[in-house]
Amino acid sequence: MNQLVSKSIATDAQYRIKGGIHPQEYKSLSNQQPIASIQEPPFYILPFSDLNKGSTTTNLEIAQPVEQGQILINSELANLSSVVHSPCDGVIADISEFDLGHPSGLEQPAIKIQAMPKSELERSAHADSLTDQIDYQSLTNEQLIKSVHQAGIVGLGGAGFPTHIKLSAPKDSIHTLIVNAMECEPYITCDDRLLREHPQSVLKGALIAAKTVSANRILFGIEDNKPEAIAALKTAIENYFDELTSTQESLEIKIIIAKTKYPSGGEKQIIELLTGQQVPKGQLPSSLGILVQNVATLEALNKAINQRQVMTKRLVTITGNLVGKPGNYWIPFGTPVSHIAEQLEVNLEQLACFIFGGPLMGTRHSNLEIPTKKSTNCIIFDSAYKTLEYPAKHQECIRCGECELACPMNLVPQQLYWFAKSQQWEALEEQQLFSCIDCAACSYVCPSEIPLVSYYQFAKSEIKDIKNKQIKSDLAKARFDNREKRLARIKAEREEKRRKAAEARQLAAANKTNDPDGKKSAIEAALQRVKAKKENKP
Amino acid sequence: MSNSHAFLNDARPTHQLMMLVCLALIPGAAAQIHFLGWGILINLFICAGTAILAEMLILKLRNKPPLETVKDNSALLTGLLIGLAIPPLLPWWMSMVGVGFAIIIAKQIYGGLGFNPFNPAMVGYVLLLISFPVEMTAWLPSPDLATAAPNIIESIQIIFFGQTSSGANITDYQKLADGFTMATPLDHSKTAFSLGNMTSEIFQNNQFLKGTGHWFWINLGYLVGGIYLLISRIIHWHIPVSFLLSIATCSTLLFLIDGQNYLPASFHLFAGATMLGAFFIATDPVTASTTFKGRIIYAVLIGVFVVVIRTFGGYPDAIAFAVLLLNIATPTIDHYTKPKVYGEKIEVKVYD
Repeated sequence: MNQLVSKSIATDAQYRIKGGIHPQEYKSLSNQQPIASIQEPPFYILPFSDLNKGSTTTNLEIAQPVEQGQILINSELANLSSVVHSPCDGVIADISEFDLGHPSGLEQPAIKIQAMPKSELERSAHADSLTDQIDYQSLTNEQLIKSVHQAGIVGLGGAGFPTHIKLSAPKDSIHTLIVNAMECEPYITCDDRLLREHPQSVLKGALIAAKTVSANRILFGIEDNKPEAIAALKTAIENYFDELTSTQESLEIKIIIAKTKYPSGGEKQIIELLTGQQVPKGQLPSSLGILVQNVATLEALNKAINQRQVMTKRLVTITGNLVGKPGNYWIPFGTPVSHIAEQLEVNLEQLACFIFGGPLMGTRHSNLEIPTKKSTNCIIFDSAYKTLEYPAKHQECIRCGECELACPMNLVPQQLYWFAKSQQWEALEEQQLFSCIDCAACSYVCPSEIPLVSYYQFAKSEIKDIKNKQIKSDLAKARFDNREKRLARIKAEREEKRRKAAEARQLAAANKTNDPDGKKSAIEAALQRVKAKKENKP
Repeated sequence: MSNSHAFLNDARPTHQLMMLVCLALIPGAAAQIHFLGWGILINLFICAGTAILAEMLILKLRNKPPLETVKDNSALLTGLLIGLAIPPLLPWWMSMVGVGFAIIIAKQIYGGLGFNPFNPAMVGYVLLLISFPVEMTAWLPSPDLATAAPNIIESIQIIFFGQTSSGANITDYQKLADGFTMATPLDHSKTAFSLGNMTSEIFQNNQFLKGTGHWFWINLGYLVGGIYLLISRIIHWHIPVSFLLSIATCSTLLFLIDGQNYLPASFHLFAGATMLGAFFIATDPVTASTTFKGRIIYAVLIGVFVVVIRTFGGYPDAIAFAVLLLNIATPTIDHYTKPKVYGEKIEVKVYD
């Protein structure tokens, strides 16, 4: 028996975060049913990259057959992008631009795959490795990071940041792994269900992540509205300590329970709740020696390392009062929403729009043909959302200050709104617009129903745009200046040459005036030669 | 089609907030009507009606939907506040001038709700006070001291025609049984001090006590309404608490220095428009400081100015002037009270 077990594994959070809100949770709509699967869709639409950053390459052709788990889009290890695998056996039906739900309405490049299920016999060798069990302890950190990259794992908490980048922190820079199980947004319950049903998987994933970054402490952060998940996780941790042999070095593993409050699951917020520290402005959690990972990501990490399963599906909460069979389902990436709606008996007649993600940080969509992405953790079909565009007209800000009380980042949202509306970009930066985490707590409490986050998103993209333009124009200016300098230099050189030539000419001309036809000098030279000859003769 | 912001909102809407503030005025207003007569009620109707009409007129001129916008109830609140600030039998056209100026000049010309730098009700009140000082200080005595109190018909007649059908005008109603004319307690004490009276003498005067006791009840009414606003979280404690504490501290300091020439804190807190100012006027979010630290500074300074102007200034009450003075200072206060953003305190200097 390890002595750590005697210590209490689960404790209440000692620290608090500023602001926050307590919206109605609606979690029981979807967290009462066990995790299930849905029938596979007839086709998939896979975006080239969830992040749209870094270079991704593909040499796929239309009508080319693909296998489940085959790499469709590769990415460089160092790039901020992830590998995309085929979620099914089938053929490439199309490679072109699709509506993927980008708020601009622009279509983005994606691959459409027609599913053609194969019998087990037809499967080729690489699928066999799925059952291989390997001991991650024997792998080096580099091997682990490479496997994570090859498995296409990205953060499943919502941001979709490639996990191999986060795990590639410099050696000995990380001491604490924080596992984010807060799941603070209303409606979403996929992390809750995952912890209730597969706590060992999550714990194993956490141990792998901790080993990869050489962390010696794992802190699970969870809200007190998930007692079943806390109990399951506690049992899993106790079992882990029981099974440890005395020779094995053990980590410190703790569950820290926070009072339910949105947005305690924000990366910066969970760090403050668990450690009392704030991530310095403009820096990453790694500057505090902390790595934050979501439970679903760690479950995928465990599958990738211990079962060599690449990431082609995730747990998605399908919920809302228009869903016939709400719950949490394993849904392959690229599944069209229409297929999910059909399978889970969504009442489409009453549906005005649906939400990807939670009701606070999610996005509204009306096109049922858009596919789920790696970052899609929840889809809400609810009659409360009556329009795609929220109230077009809102009342003016009366500066009541409710938003300031709700802001977890201690910003003054009403001032940001004021400056965003009047497009005062410099004032916005002074008010720390870029510290805003888009949590939408301010819009939630606004009595004038101002969609504040929309204004901030607009301002942020405008400022980024201006900065990019500024960089470009700075470059152009530098180039112009260089050209001017070069031209000036060439001109100066030419002038110098001309001046020298002129001097030479002048000199020659001056010589000429003293000795008009050069006779004098010729005679002189001849005399010199004769003199020399005479002297040379003995 | 997609929208990048899911947008969940669960707040009490602005029009409801404004309406609740209007409703919270009821206890104080009822006390005021009870003690000062029907004229107050008639003024409330005149002022509220003028405010709404003026707001709609300007909205129409500005090509904004008049009916929809006026429903935010902010004009109604401005009208009611002016109605409660003016004496009960003020001629109707003066009330209309004050309210019209407040809505049209102080509010709509700056862009309407949310854009006005000065508290519109106080701008309207100050305009009236400096334009019509005599009429604006013609308060009525408590009914049990007066020889006669105007009934509702007589009040209407005086407000609209200057005299009743029997020929009585406002000065007839201002007279007490013994010919002692009664203004507000602040007015009276100011006059008494200027005549060389001591605080103790003022308070020993039976007439004074009888003639001013009802202001205590009126202030108590506004205090009750204000506490309701605090409990239902329509306003936050920062402004009213800092304001009242500031008044209490400043007046106590003066009283301790010279108890015979200055009034005690209890008098300052329950005289004049102190409670109305604390909970309904200084708390106007549009013109107050935007940060919570700033709001405390804002309210404390209003309190200081109120005591200073009441004690040393030329006007008996000072809420309106103090609030307007601090409205001017609001942008500066905001600038220096920006809260420290998450992660800012411990910002590491990379380049030294």
